Amino acid sequence: MATHSDTHHEEFHYHAPGLQHQFEDMKQQEESVSIGMWMFLVQEIMFFGGLFTAYLVFRSRFPLAFAEASNHLNAFWGGLNTLVLIVSSLTMALAVYFAQKGNRNMQVIMIILTMIFGATFLGVKVIEYTDKYNTGLVPVTGWNKKTKKADAEHAAEPAKKDQAFAIPLIETRAEASEAAGDHSAPYINPKGEFQWNSGRHVFDYAIEKEKSGKPYLTAAERVGYFSNGEFDPNKYRDKIRIFYYIYFVMTGLHALHMIIGLGLMAWLLWAAYRGTFSADYFAPVEMSGLYWHFVDIVWIFLFPLLYLLGRHFLGAH
Amino acid sequence: MQNVDAIGSGIPVYPKDNFLTNGFTLKSWLLTKDHKRIAIMYLITISLFFMAGGLYASAIRLELLTPETDLLTSATYNKVFTQHGILMIFFFLIPSIPAVLGNFLLPIMIGAKDLALPRINLLSLYIYWVGGILTVYALLQGGVDTGWTFYTPYSTTFSNSYVMAVGLGIFINGFSSILTGLNFIVTVHTMRAPGMTWFRLPLFVWAQYATSLVMILGTPVVAITVLLLAIERTVGVGIFDPAIGGDPILFQHMFWFYSHPAVYIMVLPGMGVVSELISNFSRKKIFGYEFIAFSSIAIAVFGFLVWGHHMFVSGQSMYAGLVFSFLTMVVAVPSAIKMFNWTATLYKGSISFDTPMLYGLGFMGLFLIGGLTGLFLGSIGLTVYLTDTYFVVAHFHYVMVGGQVIAYLGGLHYWWPKMTGRMYSEFWGKISAMLVFIGFNLTFFPQFILGYQGMPRRYASYPAELQVLNIFSTAGASVLAVGFIMPLVYLTHSLFFGKPAGDNPWMLPGLEWRTTSPPPTENFVTTPVVTWEAYEFGEESGLDLEGARRREQVSTVV
Amino acid sequence: MLASEWVPIFPDAASSFAWQVDALYAYLILVSIAFTIPIVAAIFFFGVRYREREKYATPEEMHGSIVLETVWSIIPFVISMTIFLGGAYVYFNQFRLPDDGMDVYVVGKQWMWKLQHASGHREINELHVPVGRKVKLTMTTEDVLHDFSIPAFRTKADVVPGRYTYLWFEATKPGKYHLYCAEYCGLNHSGMGGWIYVMEQRDFDNWLAGNESGQTPVQQGKDLFENKLGCASCHAGGDNQRGAKLENIFGHDVKLVGGQTVKVTDEYIRNSILNPSSQVVEGFQPIMPTFKGQVTEEQLVSLVAYIKSLSGVTGSAATPAAAAPAPAANTAATAPAANAATHSNSNR
Repeated sequence: MATHSDTHHEEFHYHAPGLQHQFEDMKQQEESVSIGMWMFLVQEIMFFGGLFTAYLVFRSRFPLAFAEASNHLNAFWGGLNTLVLIVSSLTMALAVYFAQKGNRNMQVIMIILTMIFGATFLGVKVIEYTDKYNTGLVPVTGWNKKTKKADAEHAAEPAKKDQAFAIPLIETRAEASEAAGDHSAPYINPKGEFQWNSGRHVFDYAIEKEKSGKPYLTAAERVGYFSNGEFDPNKYRDKIRIFYYIYFVMTGLHALHMIIGLGLMAWLLWAAYRGTFSADYFAPVEMSGLYWHFVDIVWIFLFPLLYLLGRHFLGAH
Repeated sequence: MQNVDAIGSGIPVYPKDNFLTNGFTLKSWLLTKDHKRIAIMYLITISLFFMAGGLYASAIRLELLTPETDLLTSATYNKVFTQHGILMIFFFLIPSIPAVLGNFLLPIMIGAKDLALPRINLLSLYIYWVGGILTVYALLQGGVDTGWTFYTPYSTTFSNSYVMAVGLGIFINGFSSILTGLNFIVTVHTMRAPGMTWFRLPLFVWAQYATSLVMILGTPVVAITVLLLAIERTVGVGIFDPAIGGDPILFQHMFWFYSHPAVYIMVLPGMGVVSELISNFSRKKIFGYEFIAFSSIAIAVFGFLVWGHHMFVSGQSMYAGLVFSFLTMVVAVPSAIKMFNWTATLYKGSISFDTPMLYGLGFMGLFLIGGLTGLFLGSIGLTVYLTDTYFVVAHFHYVMVGGQVIAYLGGLHYWWPKMTGRMYSEFWGKISAMLVFIGFNLTFFPQFILGYQGMPRRYASYPAELQVLNIFSTAGASVLAVGFIMPLVYLTHSLFFGKPAGDNPWMLPGLEWRTTSPPPTENFVTTPVVTWEAYEFGEESGLDLEGARRREQVSTVV
Repeated sequence: MLASEWVPIFPDAASSFAWQVDALYAYLILVSIAFTIPIVAAIFFFGVRYREREKYATPEEMHGSIVLETVWSIIPFVISMTIFLGGAYVYFNQFRLPDDGMDVYVVGKQWMWKLQHASGHREINELHVPVGRKVKLTMTTEDVLHDFSIPAFRTKADVVPGRYTYLWFEATKPGKYHLYCAEYCGLNHSGMGGWIYVMEQRDFDNWLAGNESGQTPVQQGKDLFENKLGCASCHAGGDNQRGAKLENIFGHDVKLVGGQTVKVTDEYIRNSILNPSSQVVEGFQPIMPTFKGQVTEEQLVSLVAYIKSLSGVTGSAATPAAAAPAPAANTAATAPAANAATHSNSNR
């Protein structure tokens, strides 16, 4: 009668390093771990999918507000992050390659590079979030910088930061400089509230378009931006705030996954340094690679949807 | 010819070394990687949640004895029905069969030593405990009163209860479900014993597989929905409250996108158990094996397409309503196919009415009614009237309690000898099965009538003319409660005083019956090589039926 | 205990499409019985006929049957399609709003229903409608989700914050029918109900004109004076008399605090109710509260008629148009008035 789980039969069994007791052989283990990781990634897709759905619903209802909100995200940093992640996926894939080859030094270098790129990504996110904090674009009251005196540098002007990269929000450059010169009010935010002081001229642009015959607003916008027939800046601000809420939740969740990824890389680094991986056993590197690529792919979808809205949208005809 | 040795002979002997004796310390249980131990720990936990949910149910039925809100205040009643739903659905029904019976039996049924990812299994248990503790803590602090459906904007803005904490508890618990499902899918793909092809798998395994697909694809969506709800509640900004620009109907869509497939998580495993019970206790190969297997997959897939039938009166468009109604009718068909196949299995069988079979037959009758009333609720012209009435309450209790809980009890009684090595009292088993059946019908059938009378659900008070039916319902609930409490007593009793079961008390061909009861930690002494079809009762099974018959005669003579 | 009351399976059906819903229900019950009886009978019959006679007997092997599987897949599918089509037909009827409906606006809030007819007439937790007329409800809510449910009409619809939802019906039988809130909305969800009163067209017109119970204005005014508005507590004489006597004053002069003398006219009486501090009778304290916002124009008319009758003046009361200021003020002043008045009247 067998007792302990690690009782082996009389014959000698060669156990590949890392073979777990419930598996007959490495092939079964690798197959299991692979299917397991793919299933996990499938459920992660469903998890982010809910957020993408919410984003798509609101974007299709309020394209104008979303486009304008998006213009205050810095496409430069976003684009840089995209590049950083793509390169990190390359270094990750190379780490898997070298692990399979058993090249310990190169593995370690690649993993370290991947981690550096990952950390860079997070660093850029810190820069971006800080900028939002400073300009009062964090959707929650009290989570923005509280400024008591007039702080002219940070006046919430339309398209100020993005002039290099954004297609102007308004039709002519003359109007753009006029609008930029027109400080509606210096930036004071004693309670750290969500600040959105513009919107009027973008909205007027839309109304102009409507008047010229082409429908420009969606049905939801015709109700959503108005109170009693008048443009209601508070309701408009609500939609902008929803954009930023979704932005922070999605990028925040993504950043959380990135942090977890860095933790995974740290463990992997330590194991690789100890020479654990070889042609016989490199599944953990491969599976970590899968996770890393997944995090990268989510960003590939996030970036255009959040950062690149409206740059053509409003500037075009 | 079978390739396992005399294991499976049916001789009632209790093995000295088995998974229960493999370590007696707390550490050996809490840090175990053995799927069987994990299953036992799940069993204990979900039984506690079931009792808590049952206490809430008793409070509901006692309050509804009278038309006025006299036993509980409105505020308390609202918390009671909410918490009844949350505990029963998230912490009892969804784990029940998969986490207890699935965890224990799936590897054994496919001839494996353990699940593919035992540490993930343990993590799943830990996550379940953490989510459960957080939720119970929130309930003890004051609870939630939003309904288990957490509709916004009540839950985001108006409720003064612990929505965030309970939401987080449910969020965390969801990952337990996801990891269990993930583990099962991997296991069925990669850990089958030699010769165990897909179409030799027991239908219980097919059912668990289909359930696992739903768990993996659906649960993350409710996770993100509940997370967004918790965030919105905490920071006051979000996408669900119309006062700040959000959309309450979006919440409903996202919530029901999971919660409809969730009800299939809460019935597919039960159907898998019933396939085992009906076939084994008729000693006959299940009729239409492939059809039942594919029906499970079909239900899992189509189950993702019908969530809008919970939202017919919510203000969604007419066309959406029609599409969802149509698809709801379609998803009913695979369940009907199963019902007919089970009935055909009985035909020309050799049927014994042991306790598990009584539960299996009970499932058939009750799920039949539950499923048919689902058609009432799927027919859009009728359901506008029936939505949010007691008709819906009756329907879902028929399928969830009359379905899954009865199947769970049936499975528990069926595999109890395998899990514990002991036989329980067949007499008391039969009595409690009958009490459950009678009590259940008495509780919930009047609620169909109440629903058609127009009595809305989630009401603490109701018009006086509806009292008679409510009294019947409460009376039935007391019988049902007795029926549910009895197994606690006699099953626990059997642990200490029950007859040894032996490896195969009913002389059945399944792979789980070809190892000792309780099984050793590695499940099988030698890895089985399967050369026979599922439900092979004939020559190919290799069971020593003659020997078993002789033992029967001896014991009756003596 | 109403144990003796028979609980009918089908509640009152009082709308034009209720019979369709009931017919669908009956069809589904038939389908259910048609499936349940054979299956349950088969289970019983097989259970008895094929019960275990020999321990561990091995019955003959039976393979599946594609024919049977096909048959019992197709037939349920066809039947479920008929159910779908029947349901869709009934639903079309219910969903498509009539063009010629009588409009009623509904606002749900925790925990009451506020309704307003197109004529301006407001109700709380009650809705009076004429029989045989299509009624179209345009609904929303001030706070959370609610559901306007009228079982007797076999219809309901959620009310959603931030948008309008719709419901229509045509009542076919006069009577009093339950109104429920059918979407959980918090503390007093079970108490958020009311009544739908279906009346003959004539009675409805009467009611709309303010003449609910067929009373004359004087009788109505008396009812308001003595019961509903509590005027009698200060003006009825006896120990409680704190207000000016109202008998035999009509057409006479009264002296006011401050020296003025005015004649008691319809306008004077009306102003005393709405703005009492502007014309306090000499010798009395200015303690009468204003009833502005608590009385409708119709009620003012009947109060004036009643008070005139205390001076022996009978005959028609002054018309609302003559007594009332500009019509714009009508809705503004009387809207909250109706709210408060009917709210205090309909104690549930």
